[in-house]
Amino acid sequence: MDDLISEFLTETAESLDVIDSELVRFENNPDDRAILDNIFRLLHTVKGTCGFLGLPRLEAVAHAGETLLGKFRDGELQVTPPMVTLVLESIDQIKVLLESLEATGSEPAGDDQPLIKRLEDAAMGKLDDAAPAEAAAPAEPEVPDDYDQDLGRELRPGEVSLADLEAAFQNAESDVPVENPADTAAAESEEHLQAGDFDPELGRELRPGEVSSAELEAAFAAAEPDPGMEPGTPEVITKNMSTEEALATAMAELKGGDAATGEGGLRVQQTVRVGVDVLEALMTTVSELVLTRNQLMQTVRGLEDDELKGPLQRLSAVTGELQDGVMKTRMQPIGDAWRKLPRIIRDVSTDLGKKIELFMEGQDTELDRQVLELIKDPLTHMVRNSADHGLEMPEDRVKAGKSEKGTIKLSAYHEGGHIIIAIADDGKGLDTKRIGEKALEKGLTTHEELARLTEAQIHRFIFAPGFSTAAKVTNLSGRGVGMDVVRTNIEQIGGVVDVSSAAGRGSHFTIKIPLTLAIVSALIVGCQEQRFAIPQLAVRELVRVGMGSEHTVEKLNGASVMRLRDRLMPIVDLQGVLRLDGGEGADEEAGFVVVLDAGGRNVGVVVDNVLDTEEIVVKPLSDSLRGVSAYSGATILGDGSVIMILDPNGLAGDIVSAMEKESSAEALAAANIDMAQTQRLLLVRAGGEEPKAVPLSLVTRLEEFDPDTIEHTNGHNVVQYRGRLMPIVPLGDQIQCTEGQRQPVLVFAENHTSIGLAVDEIVDVVEERVDLQMGSDREGVIGSAIIKGKATDVVDIAWYLDQSRAGDIQRRTSKRRRRVLLVDADAFARRMIAPLLAAAGYDVTPTGGMHEVNSIAEAEEQFDVLVGDPAALARIQSEGMWADLPTVAVTDWPDDGSGEGLTAVLPRSDRSALIATLDQVSQQENAA
Amino acid sequence: MTGQTNDVSELSAEAVNEYVSVRIGDQLFGAPVNAIREVFTPQSVTEVPLAPSEVAGLLNLRGRIVTAIDARRRLGLPPREAGDAGMALGVERGSEIFGLIVDSVGEVLRRPSAELEPVPAHVDSTFRSMVKGVHKLEKELLAVLDVSAVIGAAAGAEAA
Repeated sequence: MDDLISEFLTETAESLDVIDSELVRFENNPDDRAILDNIFRLLHTVKGTCGFLGLPRLEAVAHAGETLLGKFRDGELQVTPPMVTLVLESIDQIKVLLESLEATGSEPAGDDQPLIKRLEDAAMGKLDDAAPAEAAAPAEPEVPDDYDQDLGRELRPGEVSLADLEAAFQNAESDVPVENPADTAAAESEEHLQAGDFDPELGRELRPGEVSSAELEAAFAAAEPDPGMEPGTPEVITKNMSTEEALATAMAELKGGDAATGEGGLRVQQTVRVGVDVLEALMTTVSELVLTRNQLMQTVRGLEDDELKGPLQRLSAVTGELQDGVMKTRMQPIGDAWRKLPRIIRDVSTDLGKKIELFMEGQDTELDRQVLELIKDPLTHMVRNSADHGLEMPEDRVKAGKSEKGTIKLSAYHEGGHIIIAIADDGKGLDTKRIGEKALEKGLTTHEELARLTEAQIHRFIFAPGFSTAAKVTNLSGRGVGMDVVRTNIEQIGGVVDVSSAAGRGSHFTIKIPLTLAIVSALIVGCQEQRFAIPQLAVRELVRVGMGSEHTVEKLNGASVMRLRDRLMPIVDLQGVLRLDGGEGADEEAGFVVVLDAGGRNVGVVVDNVLDTEEIVVKPLSDSLRGVSAYSGATILGDGSVIMILDPNGLAGDIVSAMEKESSAEALAAANIDMAQTQRLLLVRAGGEEPKAVPLSLVTRLEEFDPDTIEHTNGHNVVQYRGRLMPIVPLGDQIQCTEGQRQPVLVFAENHTSIGLAVDEIVDVVEERVDLQMGSDREGVIGSAIIKGKATDVVDIAWYLDQSRAGDIQRRTSKRRRRVLLVDADAFARRMIAPLLAAAGYDVTPTGGMHEVNSIAEAEEQFDVLVGDPAALARIQSEGMWADLPTVAVTDWPDDGSGEGLTAVLPRSDRSALIATLDQVSQQENAA
Repeated sequence: MTGQTNDVSELSAEAVNEYVSVRIGDQLFGAPVNAIREVFTPQSVTEVPLAPSEVAGLLNLRGRIVTAIDARRRLGLPPREAGDAGMALGVERGSEIFGLIVDSVGEVLRRPSAELEPVPAHVDSTFRSMVKGVHKLEKELLAVLDVSAVIGAAAGAEAA
């Protein structure tokens, strides 16, 4: 009996889930008979089975719910949300009863009269007389009889016989040809369900542990005496069979019926129920087999013996097939994890008075059931969050110019061994400001750090432990254990979660998880004689460093960094993090940097060498090691040795905490300056052999002109360029026109006019920290710096621009030269900007730091506008100096959201915007 | 009867306890036979950086990963000489296997459970927490190991 009940519990739980979501669909499409019939049949089956098993309480509730549904079906009652809520309530009550049945093995004491009474009242609401509704339901020749009987209360709880149950199955069966296939198909396509996964007659998808015949067909072909079984064969259901068997048989018949309509019943869709534990055991065995295979391969690789190689090859192939096969049996469509969501969304929308539409896409995307189980709750939580916090109230949405109904879109798809799940809403988006404040409040960041973070980085704080921005705790979400739990859960299974959000337009969460946990592909790396595995999922790239490589690991205030495509990436030395004993300093040695994706950030891990990639079977860590965040598990390699699997997030966590320890203001400021001083420079040769450097950020384009096209007018060299005349100024003494050679020209565009700077040769582009060693009195040269080991003149572009604009004297007619206080810790930037502003007619006072600024402030000097790096300007503002002046920030990272409270934030490379902005703000100032 | 002897009698239906005698340092210990899954020679133990000190490493025991716990470190004794791998007692705990590394393993001893005496109170508390009691053998004392305490404390150490 116990087995029977546990089977019943699984079966019924599934049915109820389907009823939940089907009811929600039904509420929206009250005229869809197919949905209602489906619900009705499911509930009826539940009721019937309860009776069979002697569960009077459950049966009574199911019965009352069914009665009400019957009224809908017969068209006697209108479907209204309160009615649906009532039916849902009865479903919930059934779930409660089932839970306790599961826990104790018997129905709890008590009765459900109040609920049943309400259900009955609702059913009687319009019509007291339960008239036979046969005419109304031609599609259901048997069920209505049954139903009428019930309605007449002849059948009391506990009295449903097996015969009744059989009848129910046969009804279901007889429905097959009657049911409008078009309806079913339509209903299915609406939900993006695939026939075969979802059996509309029984109303459920393949269960966990249910193996579709596709995988095991051959086995069944042998075991099944009569594959072309006739639907309705009477001896198929006998009293000796358990309910479960009966159900399975009935289902097989139904499917047989389906197939019969198509291909004469030859392709019998069959499934067999296999306990999850059996599958798990199978998986473990296969894992062991894979390991043994790997081990054998490794051994044989070193042998000359060819005799072994053939059989081993076959063993290897068979093992691979077996692994694939077993993996398939573990695969489940992700739709299984989404089944509960429509109901949840409905409840949220009813509770909060929001209008929400849920779209689902890619339900068929399959993933390992273990993974599925683990992401179920996080997913539910995230969808709830979107509904609760993401979407606005209807009136707010209308105000924002959006449709009243908010949408949440769930989608899933495969991408290179991973599954990507996206949850997108079109709500208000994340509140960057509030997240920032909250992060400060929780001590997750500092003001200075916050100022430097991009919006996306700030958004990621929602995944930080204990972070919750909900102003009000609703009963749905916002208890402060929100997204960090989601993140932890997802990271536990080697996944990654990220968010992108646009204010007013919604948020978009993406989850990237491996398809399976059991066997993953990993990179085997070596460090100090030890080997470690890194899951491939987390590896973004491998970079060779050290000898003979263009990449090197550099030190920044003691911390390691590496330049990777113009970005500085934090580097962690595996040897250091794991405190491995190393005889010699590994820093100088050649090695590899494994670029890892740690919570959306790139972090480089230095290892000595990269040894191999291998399919590894992930073994969970022993309790005694679970506290070490650097590992996510252990595995046995082909050679039989045990190695640790590194956890990228754990490793990065160590870096982050290490960074926090050092994050004194000085360290940050130093980092700022150092980073700012790394400039990309264009090295050119002009008027002499020694190279000259031009900041690349100022150059708009590099062009080459045929010397013949350079014309001479009014003492200027010009070319026709894009339909205009562009003056060409030689960077050297004169333009060296060599016959037959094209003239390289650096084009600077500004305010719709372009200026060309003719050079002899473009030598190189370098990235260097520019340290101006000497200032210069020479016109057109800012100063000299050592670039690539050579003394190089840094060209003063502003001066040349000025030269070419000799005719353009308009600017110089200003009445009073406005005064600009330039604050930039970066000497190079000061040198670049100051002449530029001076050329534009401003009186510039350059300052390098707060010391100078303070002394200028004490001298009570007056300015019209402040220009500088955002951090410095913020500092000046916070100290209340020149409080009412406009502040124009110039930065290499104008988009990182650090410009709050400043008048304007401009990219350093955009000279014309800077001057235009200055003109504008100082003009306003004048007017005021 | 003290609580400790009760524990022991639980382990054995008879009034006689069977122990695998092991040596850790100078002391003779007895590990209840029914707590031990097998005895094996630990081979190619992979050290685990950052692990709690008593975790000697991980090893592969016929395809299963075994967490090796060094009994010497648990008892606060100096490490074995380099090159001496010792022996390991395989202990199953839940779905995990631990290997308790001892210096050497001797014969199986049978002692009446009634003869088990509690550890005197003045003995070091670390030692006492891992020993259930003492049997007086003819020449020396046999300290009865509480195997799950030796393993368990290791498992809990990092969590704390």
